Amino acid sequence: MKHLLLKLEPIIWLLFGQGILLGTLLLTGWVLVVGVLAPLGITPLLSFSDAHELAATLIGRVVLAALIALPLWKGAHHLRHVFIDLGGADRDATVAPLLYLIALAGSVAGVLAVIRL
Amino acid sequence: MAEKTIEIEVLRYDPEKDAEPYFQTFTVPYVEHWVVLDALTYIKDEIDQSLTFRWSCHMAVCGSCGYNIDGEPHLGCKTFIRDFYPNKVRVEPLANFPIERDLVVVQDDFIEKFADIKPYIIRERHNTVDEGTYKQSRAELIKFKQYTMCINCLLCYSACPQYGLNPEFYGPASLSLAHRYNMDSRDEGREERMEVLAAEEGVWGCTFVGACSRACPKDVDPAGAIQQIKIAATSDWMKEKLMPWGKK
Repeated sequence: MKHLLLKLEPIIWLLFGQGILLGTLLLTGWVLVVGVLAPLGITPLLSFSDAHELAATLIGRVVLAALIALPLWKGAHHLRHVFIDLGGADRDATVAPLLYLIALAGSVAGVLAVIRL
Repeated sequence: MAEKTIEIEVLRYDPEKDAEPYFQTFTVPYVEHWVVLDALTYIKDEIDQSLTFRWSCHMAVCGSCGYNIDGEPHLGCKTFIRDFYPNKVRVEPLANFPIERDLVVVQDDFIEKFADIKPYIIRERHNTVDEGTYKQSRAELIKFKQYTMCINCLLCYSACPQYGLNPEFYGPASLSLAHRYNMDSRDEGREERMEVLAAEEGVWGCTFVGACSRACPKDVDPAGAIQQIKIAATSDWMKEKLMPWGKK
């Protein structure tokens, strides 16, 4: 397992890196606009049908899928390293696959939901 | 008026005599412009000649006087006692290294790792004297210049929790020095170094704590270098998997 994790480290790190970028930039803005500014009436609120139409475009689907999936990988990779920093390196071979499986399951569920929009 | 004084609490340990390290407190004159190294030198000259510590240049260039001062890694020559006065100053050897004696640590592990990453310019063929020096543009120089400022003081190793937990990890200074040579336009040794760098004990052992960059007394950013090596390692991985016929 340790060997497999090391082999996959570059691709996981790539997903993690993109997750940081999207998680800190886009997702924060997304939550701010959709969760705070729009309900307070500061920015225009899209109707459900308009929002659905926007999300169902190709670009909308790609953005939504990335916003759901990549931060999950960022979270999984970060949690793994927090666990190692707290002295859990001996159990990394169990904890890391578990965290990545959660990220994978969330990503698949997110992508399927986006496809079915 | 009585002369102002300050207490310096120093970790003492002589492996030939002591069962375990212990703290000894010395009272030294408080002089506003004194740094911790001045206080240690006063103790050695005036109070206890057996106190053992490394130092050399007294101007943050040689990297010899790294100690844990009040629990944080600092250079003794760059840390003023006035920043602690009237409280005492606690001085310990750098963390994550075995103690040789008092404030002197055994650096063998770092030296071996340092040699492994080949911290020198590798070229198939070097210019002859007649061919002259290598030319480098300003843009090429900027890519690696900050990493040349490293003075191997090991403060970053003392700050790095990963090195403390996993001694196999190559650690911040070695990795950032490897990056320094990888980014040098005169160098051709990137592929050789990446064998060491793109390993679990190399950059993948870093857990993004960033304490190394905070501890660096020369404003080098080893954490940034490590992340840049990760990009390079990921790029190599993608090229290898997606274009196995291509060259790295």
